Amino acid sequence: MISKHPDPQALVEYSSGTLALATSIAVTTHLQLCRTCADATSSLNNLGGDMIDQAEATPVSEDLLQKVLSSIDEEPTKNADHNRTRSSVVDDVAHALPHYVRALLPQGSLQWQFLSPSLRVATLSVGEEENELALHRIKAGGKAPEHNHAGQEITVVLTGTFSDEEGIYQPGDFIVRQPGDVHRPMAAQNEECICLSVLAAPIKLTGINRLMNPFLRFSPS
Amino acid sequence: MIHSLRMGNDSKAMQKIPDWNTYLLKVGTSQDKAAFGALFEYFSPRLKTFLMQGSNLSAENAEELVQEAMTKVWRRAPSFAPTQASASTWIYTIARNTRIDWFRKNSRQDPLLFHAEDLYGDNEEASPYSTLAQLRSTVSIHEQLNELPQEQSEVLNIMYFKGLSGQQTAEALAIPLGTVKSRIRLALKKLRVGLAVTGGNSGQGTNND
Ligand SMILES: [Zn+2]
Repeated sequence: MISKHPDPQALVEYSSGTLALATSIAVTTHLQLCRTCADATSSLNNLGGDMIDQAEATPVSEDLLQKVLSSIDEEPTKNADHNRTRSSVVDDVAHALPHYVRALLPQGSLQWQFLSPSLRVATLSVGEEENELALHRIKAGGKAPEHNHAGQEITVVLTGTFSDEEGIYQPGDFIVRQPGDVHRPMAAQNEECICLSVLAAPIKLTGINRLMNPFLRFSPS
Repeated sequence: MIHSLRMGNDSKAMQKIPDWNTYLLKVGTSQDKAAFGALFEYFSPRLKTFLMQGSNLSAENAEELVQEAMTKVWRRAPSFAPTQASASTWIYTIARNTRIDWFRKNSRQDPLLFHAEDLYGDNEEASPYSTLAQLRSTVSIHEQLNELPQEQSEVLNIMYFKGLSGQQTAEALAIPLGTVKSRIRLALKKLRVGLAVTGGNSGQGTNND
């Protein structure tokens, strides 16, 4: 039996802002289609709100309010890279992607590579060494080659359905495969299946200072 | 559904915490600077503590982030909807996203292709689902947090307040990751955070609403 949702640890990390960026993209995509996990995440955010309420007050500089008030009087300055529009979205798959995934496309289109006659992959860069984010596209009725992975793999179905030895997966389903799991996904007969996947680099982590969270970088304490 | 726990501590807590939702609504609807000043006075010193603890930031950097977060609070106030999140929770998410982006900016060369709010925003500002969750306000979750066994609340405190991942929390407490996972699971059950049934059949129940 396999879960089709992020585990509680992942939801807490998502809510507390410590989940890797690539994984957070997968979780966000799941939350848009899963009411239960979206509700759980809202409840978890209340924990963060409570922590703020309970936090000790560390005095701030006397002029800080004034600084904020003068910056809000200025025209809101949006970050240039934030507003960069991806003008030419030609690829039909790219066009249908969630906006936060589309924002990662260098030219507004995807570079598809054939891995087998029925499987194509396009990798996306999130600037993390620890994870690789990719889109997989399996032809209707197509079978992906049997594969194994060195690191954990998360898959979220975007469109279509696929199945493997353990189940049938539909849009929004969040599937975690551990290193060593061998499986052979197959798309449904009537429809192409597109998935988002996060493949963790097979890195052995030792000691707290090596545990660099890719989303939050801590100075060694 | 509403909390049935003892009210002793919390009636005090409620008195201590004014209705920040109303203040924030005033900022959003009429750019009320007095209301913003009150919010600033309450939240800024708390955000500073949160940011310093959660990220080993210097006091100076933490103030920069407080300034950035509180500026966002002003600008975004028109989109604040108390049916979706309380003021404290809403401000928490802004501070968290500000912190995430600050770390991303400082750990890479290339420009950010999107900001944390672009990723989180869809769920936190537009979720049609969160009204029910919001009924369990931060005040009621606070009661329940106090009821948790210390080893469970400790894990959540470290993850939220110190900004550590589950794996880092395990390292910090010198316990196995599996223990962290089970404490989280038990805590969430006690906090009545509804979790999807994992494993199970091919029914796909939770996704087909
Ligand atoms: Zn779910």
